[in-house]
Formats: sequence, C-alpha cells, structure tokens
Amino acid sequence: MHPNKPSANLWRITRGQRLRYASATLATGVSSAFMLLAPLVGMYALDVIIERDFAKGSPWLVRIADSLGQAESYISYLVVSAVAGFLLAAVSALFMYFRGRWSAIATEAVAMRLREALFRRLHHLPATFFDQADTGDLVQRCSSDVETVRIFLSTNVVEIGRSVLLIAAMAPILFWRDARLAALSLCLMPFITVGAYLFFARVKRQFRVADEAEGTLTTVLQENLTGIRVVKAFARDEHEIARFGASNRVFRDHLYRLNRLEAIYWGISDFVSLGQISIVVIAAGIFLAEGTISVGELFAFLTLVSMAIWPVRRLGHVLADSGKAVISLGRINHILEAEQEADKRGRGDAPAEPRVRANGDIVFESVHADYQTGQPVVTDFSVHIPAGQTVGIVGAPGAGKSTLIRLLMRLYPFHAGRILIDGTDIRDVDGHWLRHQIGAVMQDPFLYSRSVAANLRVAKPDAEHHHLVDAAQEAAIHDAIEELPAGYDAEVGERGITLSGGQRQRLALARALLKDPPILVLDDSLSAVDTGTERRILDALERRRGRHTTIVIAHRLSSIKDADRILVLENGRLVQDGSHTALAKIPGPYRRLCEIQGALDSSIRADLSAAASSTSQATSG
Amino acid sequence: MEDHDHADGFDEHKAADGIQLHLWKRLLRYALPYRRELWLLAAGGCVTALMEIALPLLAKGVVDDVQANGLNASFGLWSAAYAGCNLLLAIGGAMFVWMAGKIDAFASHDIRRDAFANLQRLSFSYFDHRPVGWLMARMTADCRKLTDILAWAFLDLVWGLTMMIGIAAAMLVMHWQLALIAMAVMPVVGWVSAKFRKRILGSARLVRSTNSRITGSYNESIMGMPTSKAFVREDANAREFESLTGTMYQASVRNLVLAAVFLPLVLTLSAVAVNLTLGVGGALLYIGAISAGTLIAFFTLTRNFFEPVHVMGHWFAEMQMAQASAERVLSLIEAEPEIQDSASVKRALTVQQAAPARTEVAPDGGPMRITSIELVNLGFAYDPQKPVLKDINLKVGMDETIAVVGPTGGGKSTLVNVICRFYEPTTGHVLIDGIDYRNRSLRWLQSNLGMVLQNAHVFSGTILDNIRYGRLTATDQEVEWCARLAGAHDYIIGMENGYQTEVGEGGSRLSAGQKQLVSFARAILAEPQILIMDEATSSVDTETELRIQQGMKHVFRGRISFVIAHRLSTVRNATRIVVIDDGRIVETGSHLDLMRADGHYAALYRQQGLNETTRRWGAVGGEAVGV
Repeated sequence: MHPNKPSANLWRITRGQRLRYASATLATGVSSAFMLLAPLVGMYALDVIIERDFAKGSPWLVRIADSLGQAESYISYLVVSAVAGFLLAAVSALFMYFRGRWSAIATEAVAMRLREALFRRLHHLPATFFDQADTGDLVQRCSSDVETVRIFLSTNVVEIGRSVLLIAAMAPILFWRDARLAALSLCLMPFITVGAYLFFARVKRQFRVADEAEGTLTTVLQENLTGIRVVKAFARDEHEIARFGASNRVFRDHLYRLNRLEAIYWGISDFVSLGQISIVVIAAGIFLAEGTISVGELFAFLTLVSMAIWPVRRLGHVLADSGKAVISLGRINHILEAEQEADKRGRGDAPAEPRVRANGDIVFESVHADYQTGQPVVTDFSVHIPAGQTVGIVGAPGAGKSTLIRLLMRLYPFHAGRILIDGTDIRDVDGHWLRHQIGAVMQDPFLYSRSVAANLRVAKPDAEHHHLVDAAQEAAIHDAIEELPAGYDAEVGERGITLSGGQRQRLALARALLKDPPILVLDDSLSAVDTGTERRILDALERRRGRHTTIVIAHRLSSIKDADRILVLENGRLVQDGSHTALAKIPGPYRRLCEIQGALDSSIRADLSAAASSTSQATSG
Repeated sequence: MEDHDHADGFDEHKAADGIQLHLWKRLLRYALPYRRELWLLAAGGCVTALMEIALPLLAKGVVDDVQANGLNASFGLWSAAYAGCNLLLAIGGAMFVWMAGKIDAFASHDIRRDAFANLQRLSFSYFDHRPVGWLMARMTADCRKLTDILAWAFLDLVWGLTMMIGIAAAMLVMHWQLALIAMAVMPVVGWVSAKFRKRILGSARLVRSTNSRITGSYNESIMGMPTSKAFVREDANAREFESLTGTMYQASVRNLVLAAVFLPLVLTLSAVAVNLTLGVGGALLYIGAISAGTLIAFFTLTRNFFEPVHVMGHWFAEMQMAQASAERVLSLIEAEPEIQDSASVKRALTVQQAAPARTEVAPDGGPMRITSIELVNLGFAYDPQKPVLKDINLKVGMDETIAVVGPTGGGKSTLVNVICRFYEPTTGHVLIDGIDYRNRSLRWLQSNLGMVLQNAHVFSGTILDNIRYGRLTATDQEVEWCARLAGAHDYIIGMENGYQTEVGEGGSRLSAGQKQLVSFARAILAEPQILIMDEATSSVDTETELRIQQGMKHVFRGRISFVIAHRLSTVRNATRIVVIDDGRIVETGSHLDLMRADGHYAALYRQQGLNETTRRWGAVGGEAVGV
C-alpha cells in the first residue's frame, strides 16, 4: 500500500555500505592468507636446520639470505626467516586493522540509519498503534533488537567470510604438501560446523523461552515500580515480592538451562576439535616415521589446523546467531511496516495556502467513530461551533468527550461523517497545519524531561522569555515556577515527576496558551487545580475571549457555566446543546446537574443566611 | 541530606579509574553461597589451562619419539595420552561453562530478589527522585552485567594465571635461556595493553552514555507521542534525535577503531616473540642444544602465552566500566528506608511472632483497633528552609470524616502522607490512640490504610484483579459490592467483558474517571481503618459523584477518613472541615460553623456557586452573598 514502506532485511539495510563490507571481507582474506604463510616460514626453517640442506628451504628466502653476502649460512637463513615471519604477521595485522575499521564504519552507519528510521517511523504512526503497544516492548525493539543486529553485522558478517576464506586458503597449502594428511586434517571440520549449526538451531528454542521469561520479569518489575505508591498504600509488598520472586525464579531456571546446554556443547565441540588436532599430530608422526613428510611439514600442519579449527568451530555458532539477528529484524519490522498515519498531505486537493491561520470555525457532521473493542465511542455526532465561541462539554466518564478532541486533531480515525474546520474537511488538509491550529491541554499532561522553559518553548520555539512569563501568569503557574530553585531553568524530571499534579496541568496550560492557537482545548485539565486558582485561570481565559474558539471539558459546572454553549454527551451521543441559562430551564441531564449544584447553591444561601442571622443574633445578644 | 540521597550515582557518572576492590568484595557476597560451584569453576579453569599446556608438550613428545625411534615409536601410547588430555580438557571446559552459567544465573537472581525486596521497603521519598526507567535499568541490564563479570572474570583470572605460570614454567624447564627470550616482549605487551585499555575505556564510556540517552529518547518520545503530535514536534524531535545518533556514530566508530588497532598490535608483538624464538631456537636446534620437538612446543607455547594477557585485560576494563553499575545496584540493595520500625518495635514484633496468635492484638503487641488519631504540633519540611506544614494540631475520632481543603500547594497531600507515615513529621507527633506512631509497626499501620489517589494507578490485568488488589482473598461478590459502592459497577458491566475486561498497560483503556472509580472500589474492598481520598473523584462527573456520595456515607462508617477535594459538594458532608493554607490550619469546624465564620472556607465555597460567578459577569449583584 505504501510504496515507501521501509521494511528491513539483512540485505537491504546494508545498502550504501556493501562496498565497505566487501572490502572488509577482502581484507580479512588477505590478512588470513598472510597469517597462514607465517607457519610455512617456520616449516622451511625447521627443515633446513634439521636436514642441513638449503634445498629444503624456501627458494626466495635462500636467495635473500644469499644476497646478504653470506651464502649458505644457516644463521643468516634463520635471521631472514625470522624477519620474514615477522613481516608476514605485520602485514596480516595491518589488514586485520583495515577489516576492523571498515566493518566498524559500515556497521555503525547501518545502525545509525536503522535507529533514525525507527524514530521517524514511530512519529508517523497513528495514536491507535500506541494504545495497543507496550512502551517497554517498543523501546526494547528500538534498542536491544537494533543492538543484536548491530553485533551481527559488526562481527558475524565478516566472521563468516573469515572462516570460509581461511579454509579456502588453507586447503590448497595442505594438499600441496601432502594430500593424505590434508584429507585427515580436514576430515572432522564439516562435522564440527554442521554439528554446531544443528545444535544452536535447537538452542534457539531455549533461548527464546529464556528471552520471554526475561520479558515477563521486566513487565512485572515495571508494573510494580510504576504502581509503587499503590503497593505501599495497601502494604502489598509481600504479595509483590512473591509475584516477582516467581517470575525471577522462572527466568533464572531457563537461563541456567540455556547455560547448561551451552556447557554441553562446549565440552563436545572441544573434544571433537581437539580430536582433529590429535589426529593430525599422530598421523603426521606416523608419516614422519615413514619418511613421507618432514618435521617442518608436521609443524606446519599442526599450526595451520590449530589456527583454522577455532573459527570453524565458531562458524556454526555464528550461523545460528544470524538466526537471532533475523528474529530481531522481524521485531524491528513490526514498527517499520506498521501502517502510517493517514497521509500528512491530506487527500485530494489541499487548500491553496496551508500557512494561513484558521479562523476556528468547527463543524462536526454526523461523525461516527469506534475504536478498539468495537464499541461505538462517538455516534452520529453533529455540531457547529462558530469561530471564537467558547463551548463547554460535560458527560459521564467514557461518554466520548476526550475522543471528540482526538478526532478533531486527527489522532484517531472516524468512520463516517465529516469534520470541517473553516469549511474544509480535516482529512483534506495537511495534518501538521491542522495540529498547529489546535492547542490542547490533555487530562494527564505530558511534560518532556527538560527545563520548564524548554517545555514551554515546545509550543513556540522562538518565544522570548517575557512571552513565557506572560503565558505562565495567565495559567497561574508563574509564582510556582519562580519558587523552584532554578526558576524557569528548573528541570522537570522524567514525565514531570518533580511537579505536583496541579502544577503540571497549569504548565501544560501555559504551553497551550503560548501557542496562541485559533482553537484552544482544555480536556479536564483543571481537575487538580483548586477553585481559587481555577477562577484566576478562567478570568484570564475570559480576557482572551473571542481570540480562540475554546472547548472546555470539565466536571465542575463552575468551569463551564460561563461558556457560550454547553454540550452534554451521553454514551457518545450529543443529547443537549445550549447555553447554561437555556439548558437549566428544560428538563434533562444538564438540569439534573444544575439541580445537584442548585441544591448546593440554595444550601449556600441557606447556610449563609443562617450564618448571618446567627452572627447578628450573636452581636445583638 | 540531599547529597546522601544521591550518593548512588543517580545524578552523575563518576569516571573512577582503577579497580575499587571494596565494591567487588561486597558483590562477591552474592557468589559465595555457591561455594561448591566456585570450587568446581576454579578446578575446571585450572584443568583446562594445564591441558592446554600439556598438548604442545605431547606434540613435542611425538616428534622426539619419532625422530629417535622411527616407526617403532609408541604411537598407541601417544594416542591414548592425546585422548586422555582431550577428554580432560573437554570435561574441564564443559565444567567451567556449566558452573559459570549457574553462578551467573543464580547470583543475578539473588541480586534481583534482594534489590526488589528492598525497593518494596523503601520510603516514598526514594521514588520521588528516581524515575522508573532508571530503576528498571539497574534491575535488569546492570544486574546481568555484574554477575556476568563475577562468574566469567573469576574463571578467566584462574585460567589466565594458571596458563601463564604453567607456560612460563614449562618453557623455563625445557630451555630457560630460550624461554626468557620468548617472554622478553611480555612487558611491552603489558604496557601497550594497559595504555590502550585506558583509551578504549574512555571512548566506551561515551558510547554507553550516548546509548542510554538514545534509549531514554525513544522512551520519552513513545510516552509523549500524543503531545508531540499535538504540537507538531515530529521533525524537531527527529532533528534532536539525529544529533544524538550522530554523536553515537562518531563515538562508536572511534571506540571500534581503537579496538581494531589494539588486537593487531598485540598480535604483531607476539609475532616478534614467536620469530625471536624461531631465530634463536633455530640456532639452538642447529647446534643440537634442543630437539625439533622442543622448538615446535616453544612455538605453540609462545603464541599461547600472550592470549591470557588480553583476555585478562578485557575483564579488567569491563570491571572498571561496570563499577558505576555495581555502585548503583549495591545502593539499591543496601539503601535504608528513611522510615522504618524502631528497635523497640522490632523487638516487640519478634516477641509477638513467637507468642500464640491473638486476634485482638496487632503484630507489634499494640491494640488492633484505631479509634483516634491526634496530630500534636506537627511540622514537616523536605527542605528545612521551606517548611511545608507548620504547627498542625488536630484530633480525629472514630467514624469521623475530615475534609481537607485549601489552595493548591498548601500542603494538603503532604499532611495525609504524614498521617500515613509515608513521610515522618520533622517536628511534633502523630499519636494513634495516644501512642506515637513511631512506636508502632509501620507495616501494621500501612496495612490498615486505604488510599485513593488523584492519579489513580491501575495495573495491567482485568478490572476484577485490580479491585481485588485491595483484599486478595475477596470473593467476586464482595468485589462487585464494592464496585457498586464506588459507582463503578454500571460502567464495568457495560464493557465488553465486564469485570474480566483487560485494562491495558497502566489502565490505558480506561478514562481517567473510570480509573478513579476502580481505585476507589479497591480501597473500599480493603476495609481499611483509615481511609484517605486525595482528590479521588476529581475526574468523575457530577452525577456519578452524587451517586458515590450515597455509597460514601456507608463507607465512612466505622473508620477514620480523610478526604482532600476541591469540589465542595464532596466536602460538605464531612463531619469536620480543615482548611489548610501555606502549611497551617487556618480554619476548622463543621460546614455550618465555617460558613458562619465567613472566612476562607466560605470564600472558597462561594466561588463554586453558580450565582456568584453570574453576578461577577455583570448579572444581578448582591444576591449570592446574603449578608
């Protein structure tokens, strides 16, 4: 559906870095070749010394030794050999460095691109995606899974190349010296590789079980820590310790089982690998006794096979590890392939000039929306809110008040009807433009873990300090900010934990006011604020009246009764619409609310007059 | 005190050099219970190292034997020796992997167990300063890393030392002059190794701190997604994130390139040693001072001699890097709760535990029932400069409901937190039935509390599970009864799966008001002797609230209740109202008393009336204030 769906597979993510990987693998090959040549120098030297025959030596080294002036000198041959051996090792090391450097650059570039792709994608996913996902799980996909892929790319890709090249380079050398011994030297290698591969393919199951056990443990832990205040308030520590203890033990046992499997593998593969070396030594000993090979060749076979066997032993491990990387990529793709939010550009013809500020005229036309469980959340909702009006919304929890706001901001899709802003369907306009027109203060406002000022500037990055102060004063939070040790530069901490609920709400309000949007939405955002402070805020809003279309969701009638209009919602339907005075007159849910409040009011009057009379009695008496 | 609070490295990452032994000693406590495993681990490491030394010596034996005896060499014997060595090496290897795996899995389990148990014990103030994500990282990744080091570093230390000493001994015995020449490069390798490790350590630190910032950034962006969308922050966030990944790229490449220089360098240096052996050993072979077999053994042993150096160097670096983690994990385990039972209470608890259970006596030997709470000259301050509560005096009896009202930030929540002993008073006393609560068991008090907080937290799971959290043994009927009292029943049965509805992570599938009702039901179910409601129904609509009021009358009976609320309709029904402003009780009395007094409370109350505001907007004046 989306041609630009950035789904990842091991081949695609290396785009742009493949040349580097190829070079790194090639460097590994060169490095291995030089590393394999070094034992041959030793082999020639041993044979020259033992046989006392320069014809047994390497013709090149003999020529170099000769050219040094001392023909047929064993000492100069040895010196030349030692230097040659060292130079071979040095060249091998140099290429090993190239390999490390290139594969590091390539891998880090791939990892960086993957991280950025994930981050961008997350921001373009619809809000519904986050309702169904678990934060910890998503973070894990973005961090540990990327890390698994990174490790795979940085070590395993080149490692596979290395093992293959090592065998490919070694086999001809061995066969050149002695075909029988070469065959014996390689006879167990396929078994080691295939065996390791099969073993780790099986271990993967246990690995996944342990991984899931760790996931459960993490979830239990997270639940406990986020709810620690509830745990303490009910003194449920023993219950929680038992619950955590259970999943902690399960994880421990699975991990232990996994480690034990590895131990078994370690033992067996050690035995087989060492068996391979032993076969070489014993067979070479027999051939040496037969006189078919020289001491030098025995040395060369022993060293070469020892050098090759460990990477080969790892090969199976590496191949199985690549399975882990594939699983991780699958988990990453869960994010990369998730359906994006409806196209930002809007459908069809976008309005000619999206930069202009909206007037704030809002129309809901038979809007119908349901989410998740299939229960209708908003049903056949129609209303027209002219620009500049202040509208209050009341209704029971779950009546769909907050959903309306989310629909208006296009955070959730709706299934029937239209929502128009200034006469244009919001699905036809640029999503960014749309959200720029709305300043919303949510029920449980989110603050970034930065300074107070930075949190405010989220709304308007270029705002001057006095703008911040103005907004904060209107939201009645300025004094509280000034009392913080660092004032506007005070850090608010993760999710604003250093601020009280009321302070966070007011800071979020200040942020929305700073944005000065055509449409201002307060979604039950003064619930944690005392009535006196609320009064001050409402007065400030009153002074701004007409500048914004304002939607206030609240439970306290005092918050909304001054609104131009009040909408009453029940089970996702609009059941009443009118001013406070109008609605208070007709029977219906709003009047019921007023009666509750009215009973309160008459009792205020009663209480006050009772108080007054008793006071006057007291003074007269 | 602030400094002490953050001594666990929460604020900054100290870059300590060298190994801080005291930290590792404290951690070692967690390996010691597995003494048998440690011995087997050490034995496995030793056997493996010795066999790895034996193998080149066997090769020497074969070569020497063949050269001396030709086809009459005892091949059978050598084969058997090889088989034996291999078997021992394989068993030793399997043994140490097994044991290290066991210690790793078990010790990390034990650390997590203790840390978790301690976290449950710690006071509120501990969590005020530490984000959940931070604690999570300590409990998961840090724990694993530490026990990984504990098990494998110990093994490699045993293995490496055995290996180096064994190889040195073998070579010295065979031909000491050649041995010294072969080992001559050692100090240089050691020096290069130390030098590089230090630089790699430095760059690794930057990689790790950047990495944790990246994880934090993902975490924040996921949690704040609606806000970021609302403020159209997508591109700004991405730009900030990209500067972070850019730093990460540079730091990682730098780190990896340093490592890419290090290994080849060590290999080159060991090539120097091997080729010195070749030159000098060749000459010795030529003059017949050593056999061909000895020279071959020397080659292999020299090559193996340098491996432990960088294996141990690796662990040394890992340990240095992990020290910050060690410090934090240990602080988690060892942190003392600021509030805990006094010595005499602890003694009483043990005495009482031994005695036969009596239902009328609390576990600490005090009375079970709470019939009065008295606050005497109570004061509280987080920071001595800025007292939050000053000179509070209040006596509350059975069946009483105290409404606490006042402006935001006046200290209302702090007052109830002090009453619950989540914080202790800095001056004055809280008396429960005449006894200072510091002389009673904390656990007893808190298990008699029911709390409903404004930011009602619900756990993922079903609604039923969440309400039942108040009393784990409650039947379904009891749960339903409490849900009815809390006014939650109607909406619960209206949901698809009723009480079995899954609420999602952090109750994400419930509205704020619904969460408050669930947590209210939970508190009722707990049948607490003290009920605290802190803005417990602020997100509930007026009508539902009215319905709850009926239930509340029932709920408040037979206990002491404190209700913090802004909505005065909730407050009016309290037996007594306490107005708190700027940390002091400025008014106290019944609704009627306070209305008469026409002070703060009356003013607050009036603000919520419908007419008062109408008047303010220029309608009819005077009417509301009937004075």
